[in-house]
Amino acid sequence: MKRAVKMTRSAKIITLLLILFCLVWTVPTAGILITSFRDSDAAASSGWWTAFGNLKDFTLKNYDEVLGGQRFTVGTAGGGTAARRGASMGSAFLSSITVTLPAVIIPIFIAAAAAYAFAWMSFPGRRILFAMVIALLVVPLQISLIPILRDYQKIGLNGTYLGIWLAHTGFGLPLATYILFNYISTIPRSILESAFIDGANHFTMFVRLIVPLSVPALASFAIFQFIWVWNDLLVALVFLSGGGQMMEVVTVRLMNMAGTRGSDWHLLTAGAFVSMILPLTVFLSLQKYFVKGLLAGSVKG
Amino acid sequence: MRKFSKVMLFVLVLMLVMQGVWAQGTKETAAQDKTIRIFGAFRGEEAARFDEIIRIFNEKSGYNAVYEGSPEFETQILVQAEAGTPPDIAALPQPGIMHKFAQEGYIKPLSSRVIGMIDANYAPVWKDLGSYGGKTYGVFHRVNAKSFVWYPKKAFEAKGYKVPKTWDELRALQDQIVRDGGYPWSIGFESGNATGWVGTDWMEDVMLRTAGPEVYDQWVNHEIPFDHPAVKRALDYLGEIFLNPKYVYGGAPYILTTNFGDSVKPLFDKPTKVFMNRQGNFITGFMPQNIQDNLEEEVGVFPLPSIDEKWGTPILGGGDQFVVFNDKPGVQEFMEFLTTWESGAPWAQVGGALFPHKSQDFNDYGNSLEREIAKALVDATVFRFDASDLMPAEVGAGSFWTGMVEYVNGKDAKSVLSDIEKSWPR
Repeated sequence: MKRAVKMTRSAKIITLLLILFCLVWTVPTAGILITSFRDSDAAASSGWWTAFGNLKDFTLKNYDEVLGGQRFTVGTAGGGTAARRGASMGSAFLSSITVTLPAVIIPIFIAAAAAYAFAWMSFPGRRILFAMVIALLVVPLQISLIPILRDYQKIGLNGTYLGIWLAHTGFGLPLATYILFNYISTIPRSILESAFIDGANHFTMFVRLIVPLSVPALASFAIFQFIWVWNDLLVALVFLSGGGQMMEVVTVRLMNMAGTRGSDWHLLTAGAFVSMILPLTVFLSLQKYFVKGLLAGSVKG
Repeated sequence: MRKFSKVMLFVLVLMLVMQGVWAQGTKETAAQDKTIRIFGAFRGEEAARFDEIIRIFNEKSGYNAVYEGSPEFETQILVQAEAGTPPDIAALPQPGIMHKFAQEGYIKPLSSRVIGMIDANYAPVWKDLGSYGGKTYGVFHRVNAKSFVWYPKKAFEAKGYKVPKTWDELRALQDQIVRDGGYPWSIGFESGNATGWVGTDWMEDVMLRTAGPEVYDQWVNHEIPFDHPAVKRALDYLGEIFLNPKYVYGGAPYILTTNFGDSVKPLFDKPTKVFMNRQGNFITGFMPQNIQDNLEEEVGVFPLPSIDEKWGTPILGGGDQFVVFNDKPGVQEFMEFLTTWESGAPWAQVGGALFPHKSQDFNDYGNSLEREIAKALVDATVFRFDASDLMPAEVGAGSFWTGMVEYVNGKDAKSVLSDIEKSWPR
């Protein structure tokens, strides 16, 4: 009896602690959320925690400018001024989706096949090749930018979506292969052997057995890659530059919205939440795989 | 699982089709080849205003000039130049990058027609800044002037303060403000990974005023060492302000942690506690919206006063120079267009831009503040380009910035300067 009481008390303490940690963890996000609904002058002159003292400072203007395009006053020929709206988040969203989906799907297919081959097929040079793939994990992608850009220039891939898909595929493949290898190599040998005895060749085995069995690992890599590509600024700047404003991805559009010297930084708060919607949806809908996938390949046998 | 792969296949096919459609679009424009790609560092509102300038050119000439701005312009332009994928025209913020590109042969000299326009329409200093190795590459369009002190006009006048004409008057004003219980200066150094540039701008302004333009040039070109007595003297002038917590709102911690754009905002708090902010003409864009709407009534501005009469009141400034990477049809016409006032007037009208063009009509500026600054800029007997943009990047975008931060943080002037001197690339 006494023991049970003690258990609940410690459980309570742990729960309390966890709630506390969660609160502390969420404070910055909550701050950004509140700031995103505040008037820019108010946000610049006082902290977000004072926001509820002055309710008239709340506004939807930031979201209006982010979603509908910024409102600019420009001078026109002949001495007049005109109101213009900047590029909205909508086209950047489309562009980001166009970049992200293939950049997630292509490496998954290639890496799954490669991982299967490395795990279950014997061919000369297998270990060396695998070691090379693993070694590529530590190569920073920055060093490859100029050489790739040069080659792309020769074959006309600069500023095209195909170019950035291939780039992201290449940068994502080592990690994808590694994660999927660790998972696929833990599939019990007996399953594969029985399939082999039933007359399955490597291809059927891969399509019918390996891919369905490794959905958790595929999904967890998909989440990693999705979030990385979605948040990527550098690769998009390098390979999509020159494609014009229609091809700007969300991260680039957000940076540009802040203005040359960052004077419109208050838009970044609203922009952050808008750009968060999709990754959050992806994460929540694939979450059940994510927990499984995090352990992918961590325990062998 | 099968359903899943079907969906994936569908998505993939969709993407390829979209890609095809897009590629077709680019091919068509490439065939006409009327497109002129312009690449630069300014974005947002400034880009929207520049787009309007481009529109005038496009309507007149039939070309299709397109501007693209990037937050990582300095890095990208280097990568693109090296990879052989540069834009047709780029707006380079630092003359140093232009020198590098000219040396490597990446950029093309301007046509003699454009150079003629520059000779006619600009002060010689702008041509020099756009030239390297005896050839002229750059055209300046919109520039900024930094040697200005901004004050909250109503509060300033209510207290009976007078705009100082000399450094001694400025000192007297500072003490007067302190006696009245206020702070003379609001200063903010923070600017992300460029933190400290506000300090280097101050330093350059004072250098020009204490040592004069010739020593300034020697300093920029490293013909005198960075720890030369003339530089030390300028830094001591700064220390008088920066290191005195009575003169600076919030003292050293405020200087180091406040963003340069936010540091102008306390000037407009009620009641007014702090009265002056030294910054370039672009700072008006950071003022509170209600102030921006009534700029002429709310804000006053004067040039940072002269220290040594001999050198007058020099103006420090900066600006993007447009250079040509691809000499294709329309490019030189565009450069020529930039030298004309037609390309400046609409932007001057809405504000946030100054132009060095001699042919400009000051009445085109939308407010009296910018009109005054533009006049000061064009009439300045001494104009010098921002030194930190001219020095090698290791110093101008590195140790000079951090040196100013360390100085405010309490490091002594001597070791600050000798550390910067040590970091100069040899």
